[in-house]
Amino acid sequence: MVDDTDIGEGSGKFPATRHSAVLAAQSANLIERERGLSILVAAYWKPIYKYLRIRHREPNEEAKDLTQGFFARALEKEFFAAYDPEKGSFRTYLRTCLDRFVANEKKAALRQKRSPGAPVVPLDFELAEGELARAEPAADRTMEQYFHDEFVRSLFALSVETLREECALRGKDLPFRIFERYELDLDPEERLTYERLAEELHLPVTQVTNFLAFARREFRRIVLEKLREITTSDQEFRDEAKSLLGVSE
Amino acid sequence: MSKPLLGLLLGGVLGIFDGLTAYFTPEARNQLVGIVIGSTFKGLVAGLSIGFFARKVSSLPLGVLFGLAVGLVLAWVVAAMPDPNGKHYYFEIMLPGALVGAIVGYATQKYRAQRTATS
Amino acid sequence: MRWLSDKTVRHLKRVAEWPDLGETKYRPLKELGRGGMSTVYLAEDTVLGRKVALKVVSTAAARPEIVERMRAEARVIARLEHPGIVPVHDAGMLPDGRVFYAMKRVDGKRLDELARAMALPERLRVFQRICEAVAFAHAHGVVHRDLKPENVMIGPFGEVLVMDWGVAKVLADGAGESSVSPTWAPSSSSTAAGTIVGTLAYMAPEQAEGSTDRVGTPADIYALGAILYFLLARRAPFDAEAAERRARGEARLAPAPPRRIDPDVPRPLEAIVLRAMAAEPHERYAAASDVAAEVARFLDGERVVSHREGLFERAERYFSRYRTPILLVLAYLVARTILFFFARG
Repeated sequence: MVDDTDIGEGSGKFPATRHSAVLAAQSANLIERERGLSILVAAYWKPIYKYLRIRHREPNEEAKDLTQGFFARALEKEFFAAYDPEKGSFRTYLRTCLDRFVANEKKAALRQKRSPGAPVVPLDFELAEGELARAEPAADRTMEQYFHDEFVRSLFALSVETLREECALRGKDLPFRIFERYELDLDPEERLTYERLAEELHLPVTQVTNFLAFARREFRRIVLEKLREITTSDQEFRDEAKSLLGVSE
Repeated sequence: MSKPLLGLLLGGVLGIFDGLTAYFTPEARNQLVGIVIGSTFKGLVAGLSIGFFARKVSSLPLGVLFGLAVGLVLAWVVAAMPDPNGKHYYFEIMLPGALVGAIVGYATQKYRAQRTATS
Repeated sequence: MRWLSDKTVRHLKRVAEWPDLGETKYRPLKELGRGGMSTVYLAEDTVLGRKVALKVVSTAAARPEIVERMRAEARVIARLEHPGIVPVHDAGMLPDGRVFYAMKRVDGKRLDELARAMALPERLRVFQRICEAVAFAHAHGVVHRDLKPENVMIGPFGEVLVMDWGVAKVLADGAGESSVSPTWAPSSSSTAAGTIVGTLAYMAPEQAEGSTDRVGTPADIYALGAILYFLLARRAPFDAEAAERRARGEARLAPAPPRRIDPDVPRPLEAIVLRAMAAEPHERYAAASDVAAEVARFLDGERVVSHREGLFERAERYFSRYRTPILLVLAYLVARTILFFFARG
């Protein structure tokens, strides 16, 4: 069966439709719901934590509790079942739910403790706190923009990690190392040249460019797969891809 | 029509008219026929040379200047010949002669000679 | 997990969108620009050793109909071999399914950026080249439908190239044309909204109204008139507010005459603009070559057909055209007159 998202003449290399994690999180099946939620937590916990720290000015301990509590409550109260793609992106819906959750929590002056429904993804709040310290939100950004930017950062970081894991599994540590060195290690304004990198690694330049092309291709595939996991429709995927990959400068 | 031929014809015609204006100079009136013949001949020679120049050099300013210069020189040759009373009319002959040369120079530069296709 | 700085995130966005040309003969060098549906990269043709511009459909836009539209665009341009139309060298598909085509890299500036610095005769010369390219396209059954100064490039040696045939229509194809091109599809993004407005300023009324069955070569004639308007008045025929009004149903709104913006605009040129931009298609010039011919007549000091000139204006034109011989003959007559009185004195 030809997937309706295939383009060109069924090249088969465009990311195949994955069952959306958002839809999974709305499923009646508990295992499926937890699977979906795990993916959403992995993608969104860091932007949510930072958002709570910056937007709601929560101290770090409260922000931790609220982050975990939010996902637990989402699972318990089936927040995501009410999501309607016609009304906007999932990310905007999530942020609205979060704002409402925080307002309600403040009113009730209650704090959620870790419950059995809490996310199964380990949340490294120390790391998130460290990242907050490194980059404060720019004064000209709205909170919505800030949330979006943190989501993008989180998604890319996850994708880099996934790329690392997949390359390790396939015995392609060297391509990943080249990718890391060329695309991540230095300030992008002072990037290495292929020649210098080849010299550093004692490789021919053609091999460096080939490995880099491989790693870039895989990185792109992973980014798009992760994006597809957290969207519910082709249109939402394309809108998110446009928003994610559009470069302002 | 080629540029030299245009120059020849135009120079001749303007030479006739330039010569005829001698009618308005009373002391020259009785030599009108000779003046017209001379002016026509001057115009033919000037026009032919200006036309050849226009064929070789395609430049409006240069063409006008060349025409002015040729007209001036040939008019000087004519003006150097005294009338029966021994009088010279340099100014009266050279100034209009130069201007006529300039007009022929302009016309030959602007004219686009038709080229027939060779089979 | 590694922390990514803002600069690294911006860079990774480009990396994720970077075209994988490993299986082609092209090596991407840098991004040149991006539109709503596609991104243009500077690339090197490693076989021929030359730089090309590669237009690649964006990930976000890669619906099957957009892919097919890009293919159609490449085919349309490829069949138009004219010095004023950017040539297409190659077309293909990336391993991830994105369609691309390679075209001549134009190392120049857009007309809207250069026009203000150009003298009027130069602007008119450029305009004639645009008309010639459009006339060629029309003669081959292709209507551009998005002519505007932003889509005209001036090369370093003065060559004029009409670009962006993304919404061109092949007149022989009758069925299936959507009345709304992806370029004009409503979108919440400010970039797309700006594109709609920018294009509307040069769009014929029948096109702005969405009457696709009436959109033919006269629509391009209208756009040519609008470009001439821009070259004369140094601004678009419709400002943002007027363009919005056109989008909201007042498509037949007439532009302010160019001489109202700049009284130094020659009347014959204003007449050409107003005729080309007539609201009714049948009232405009019949062909792009007619518009070019009118401008040529103006430049040669001849009478412009669309302009009814008065006696004084005609005398002024004759004097302007034949200034040198008139002055020479006058000088001769003045000299003769002076000599006549000199002789009598």
